[in-house]
Amino acid sequence: MGSDEEDFVFHGTPIEREEEIGSRKKKAVAGASGNLRTLPAWKQEVTDEEGRRRFHGAFTGGYSAGYYNTVGSKEGWAPQSFTSSRKNRAGARKQSVSDFLDEDERAELEGQSLSASSQFDTFGFTAAEHSRKQAEKEQHERPSAIPGPVHDELVAPVSESIGVKLLLKMGWRRGHSIMDVRASSDARREARKAFLAFSADENTKESSDSLVLENEVDTSLDPQFNEDIKFSESTPVYVLNPKQDLHGLGFDPFKHAPEFREKKRSRLSASKEAGFRKPLSMKESLFGPKSGKIAPGFGIGALEELDVEDEDVYAGYDFDQTYAIEDEQPARPSNDSRLRLTSREHNVLPGFGAASNTDYSVDRFDPPKIPKDFVARHKFPGPLEAESKPTASAPPDVPPPEDNSLKLLIDGFATFVSRCGKLYEDLSREKNESNQLFDFLRGGNGHDYYVRRLWEEQQKRSDQSKLQLDVKVSASVQKMTAETRGSLLGERPLPKSLKETEASASSGGSFQFPTNLSDTFTKSASSQEAADAVKPFKDDMAKQERFEQFLKEKYKGGLRTTDSNRVNSMSESARAQERLDFEAAAEAIEKGKAYKEVRRATELPIDFLAGGLQFTSGGTEQIKDTGVVDMKTSKTYPKREEFQWRPAPLLCKRFDLPDPFMGKPATAPRARNKMDSLIFLPDTVKAASGSGASLSARQVSELQEPKKETSVEEPEVEVEVENVERPVDLYKAIFSDDSEDDDEEQPMNGKRQEGQEKKNEAAATTLNRLIAGDFLESLGKELGFEVPADVTYPEGTKPMEEDNKSKGKPDASSEKRPGLKEKPEEKTSSLTLGSGEEKSEKKREKSPGKWSGGNDLSSSDSSGDERRRRKRSKKDRHRKNDSESDSSSDYHKHRLRRKRRESSREKRSSHKKHTKHYKNSSSSRYSADEERKESKREKRRRRD
Amino acid sequence: MSATAELPTKEAHVLKGHEGAVLAARFNGDGNYALTCGKDRTIRLWNPHRGILIKTYKSHGREVRDVHVTSDNAKFCSCGGDRQVYYWDVSTGRVIRKFRGHDGEVNAVKFNDSSAVVVSAGFDRSLRVWDCRSHSVEPVQVIDTFLDTVMSVILTKTEIIGGSVDGTVRTFDMRIGREMSDNLGQPVNCISLSNDGNCVLAGCLDSTLRLLDRTTGELLQVYKGHISKSFKTDCCLTNSDAHVVGGSEDGLVLIWDLVDAKVVSKFRAHDLVVTSVSYHPKEDCMLTSSVDGTVRVWKK
Repeated sequence: MGSDEEDFVFHGTPIEREEEIGSRKKKAVAGASGNLRTLPAWKQEVTDEEGRRRFHGAFTGGYSAGYYNTVGSKEGWAPQSFTSSRKNRAGARKQSVSDFLDEDERAELEGQSLSASSQFDTFGFTAAEHSRKQAEKEQHERPSAIPGPVHDELVAPVSESIGVKLLLKMGWRRGHSIMDVRASSDARREARKAFLAFSADENTKESSDSLVLENEVDTSLDPQFNEDIKFSESTPVYVLNPKQDLHGLGFDPFKHAPEFREKKRSRLSASKEAGFRKPLSMKESLFGPKSGKIAPGFGIGALEELDVEDEDVYAGYDFDQTYAIEDEQPARPSNDSRLRLTSREHNVLPGFGAASNTDYSVDRFDPPKIPKDFVARHKFPGPLEAESKPTASAPPDVPPPEDNSLKLLIDGFATFVSRCGKLYEDLSREKNESNQLFDFLRGGNGHDYYVRRLWEEQQKRSDQSKLQLDVKVSASVQKMTAETRGSLLGERPLPKSLKETEASASSGGSFQFPTNLSDTFTKSASSQEAADAVKPFKDDMAKQERFEQFLKEKYKGGLRTTDSNRVNSMSESARAQERLDFEAAAEAIEKGKAYKEVRRATELPIDFLAGGLQFTSGGTEQIKDTGVVDMKTSKTYPKREEFQWRPAPLLCKRFDLPDPFMGKPATAPRARNKMDSLIFLPDTVKAASGSGASLSARQVSELQEPKKETSVEEPEVEVEVENVERPVDLYKAIFSDDSEDDDEEQPMNGKRQEGQEKKNEAAATTLNRLIAGDFLESLGKELGFEVPADVTYPEGTKPMEEDNKSKGKPDASSEKRPGLKEKPEEKTSSLTLGSGEEKSEKKREKSPGKWSGGNDLSSSDSSGDERRRRKRSKKDRHRKNDSESDSSSDYHKHRLRRKRRESSREKRSSHKKHTKHYKNSSSSRYSADEERKESKREKRRRRD
Repeated sequence: MSATAELPTKEAHVLKGHEGAVLAARFNGDGNYALTCGKDRTIRLWNPHRGILIKTYKSHGREVRDVHVTSDNAKFCSCGGDRQVYYWDVSTGRVIRKFRGHDGEVNAVKFNDSSAVVVSAGFDRSLRVWDCRSHSVEPVQVIDTFLDTVMSVILTKTEIIGGSVDGTVRTFDMRIGREMSDNLGQPVNCISLSNDGNCVLAGCLDSTLRLLDRTTGELLQVYKGHISKSFKTDCCLTNSDAHVVGGSEDGLVLIWDLVDAKVVSKFRAHDLVVTSVSYHPKEDCMLTSSVDGTVRVWKK
């Protein structure tokens, strides 16, 4: 307490401020909350977390409301002063849109867009716009004298532009033309009439009779309208004379006969129907026609007549009724014809008359005559052909230069030039100006040889292209090819190219590989004599003949012209077979093998294999007696194959059958078709199913199988079968030739796959060779040696043969099958089968019974397990067949093994054992089937 | 001679009504009625013995290629160019259900014995089994091992047999879960089961009918003499399994002896391609349909 405090004297108790009370209360609450509860209810206070009092009495604003918890505001409460509505009740305000708009919205609504101020509005556009808007507004309030929308466009109100102001200052008066007013009275009158034409119904009569009633017009019109007319005088552009008749522009039907006009008008007025308007005079017509756009015949051509659809377009105007009558009234044929006639001549200029007879006629020319020998395809002359002509006379044959590398270079270069044209030669000559190697281009060393080579190549190429073109016309036409010339000259040409063209032409995609390419170079003619003495096909004279022919060709070179002769009797595949056969035989002969062996090789291949001799041709084709093929093809069908198929449980239920797969895990579905697996087989699946690529490729080739075989079977139906669409054209083209002996092969085993893989490889190489084409031919000596080298196996080295021999079981096919390497995948599968069976599995692929086995479809199965199982079962079957001569214990051994392995077939196999002989038992139908199959196979084998 | 006398070679009725080619004519189970379908998108129910058209069923959007009646004559199914299999009620003429799922035209349909499922053969290289009992719209099973269009399907109590353009006749045996594929080497146009169920007659597109032993897959006999190269022409065996009947593309109908494959009878049935032949299950009566728009009833 300071001294100054002591000076004051305090009276009464000070009024405490609420906050202070609150805070104090808070403290009090905080201090002794227990006390609070003891307080009576009306003394208790509810506070918020900060200790403020939130609830107030009704007079202090309830819950924390108002201005400091009062009902009032800072200014206090001001009641609205009372105004009586009695006085201004009558003038109740009309609400408008603008009442509810903001300032800016209002500005926007009123269109305060960028525009020229009226001060500089020379041409009155903005003003016109303004006034038009104004007029629009007014329009709503008072109905216009002119109904309809058109007048707004026609008669745009114009405010005073600066030009008008100027004119006014120059003494021009409103409503007068700028030029001499009197002189243009006619025009004014016309304009008025034209305007009247647009005006309302009540004016129609006046306007139509405007010639006579011109004076009355002014009076009859209301003042506003009158003003408009005057207005329009000064702005004639807007007053356009509508063209409402169907006459040609500027045509006056009554020009030379005004009396008719009078007559017509009187008639019209008599009928009270319509108006007649004097057509425009010459002078007016100059601007009159421009008004065509608002004629009633809007969008109608001059020659067309008004249609029903056109009538009601402008409902507000009675143009149709008023004017259409004038000319086109079918009821009045008197002037109809004439009018119609004239209206046709719409393009007659005023002052000109249309000629009565027209000498205009459309000249029609016949299409040019196509010469008979015209080919509807452009044949490019090509640098090649063009250049080959001058050198048509053959340059002298020159021995190649001693330098072998130079010779090679020249050969290759000549081929290149013959392909790319002379230009390339010129280019390279320039480029290699200093290069010694290319001296032959400039007449140096080897030039003659080069010229010769080039000529040869060009000849060959042109011949080939010609051949390809002519093939369809006449396949038999013999061209002077390089080969023929070569044979004439005693050369030994490569027989491939002609062969190829022929083959591709005749069979559409079956190719011969130049497997005997090497023969041409390696075999000496001396071996021919040896072959002559031997007749491996003695029993078939025709065949022997062909074989001799083959040998002749083979060792003498020359053309394989005899091919075409043989086409008739043999199918493509059979011929290929035979050819391979011949080659094999020839090879055997050449190698000094005994004739007997050869014969056995071709007719009884089993013994042949036992002898250790093996024929391969490209590693792809089976050696087979074609006679056997021809005989057998008819019996290859029908061919039965079996697969596992899992019916849906529901299907079994619906058929009231027990599900054979009940409780067994679902097998992966077989690939839907071969292309699917080819394209969509995922990598993992591929890995699982072994070499996916070769597998699918095999499938593709197998797809062709039936077709091929039909061609073997019945050549006359071949065309029909060709029509059946197959989705794999490309693959067909590649593989069709390879799969032609598929009927003999049993698919669905490793070797088969292996063989197929080989085939595919070979096919690929064939393709490559085809692409390489001539290049190979020119440079192909080295390559030619290599081709057979990598596909031919030395005899008797195959372990498989050893196996077969040791087993001593006759198996026709396995020895036919050239040595094929085991694929790793196959190994894994066979491992599970046990080593002993590997051989039998191999063998069965060519078992004579063609009924079983070959599951070309299922091989696309992605589950290796399933395949393996099938293989096993199949193998067992085959095994059974193959080893019929074996002891029955062997048979049962297999049975048991099979039983052990195939849990799914356990029950049935046991069934089989017991019910083998009850063929009619339905439960053992399968065993019965198999038995029958066996016997059939056996029979067939014996027959064969 | 006696054999030919038994054959239905006399025209009893001409059933006219189809506008356009008739693609199939089928007897019902007891042979009292016949259903025909054709390019005019209708299916017609006839009494072939009196030559009366009973009812016309219209709902298909495209040509109808095949039709089959249930054994109780209450329902029938049809298929055609609109890729759907229609399941009809015979009496009301309403479509009970449409089975969608084929990706192409459907060539043939058949009910199974209990009429619980419909099996359809389609251009999409598949056989599809549809459930008539449940309301499922999905096929019960899709058999898609065929390599080409499936032209024809027949059902036994336990098997589904389909003939395809890929040259195979595939038998799917539900009892043992096996598929047996008999490759004929020729596109199979139509297959037909012998009445004893032991053989399948397959009409191939090389103008040959082949009779196969079902158990062994052996080719029992070959019937030639007709033309069948580009149209879907039917073939069937007579109810006694003594003869084979086949339609030809030149309008002829040929009847072969089953055993020695001799043409026993050969007569002009239609002016144009004979699309379908159907033999009465009990009597010597035969239906032939043709592209010329008529269906003819033949009796002896």
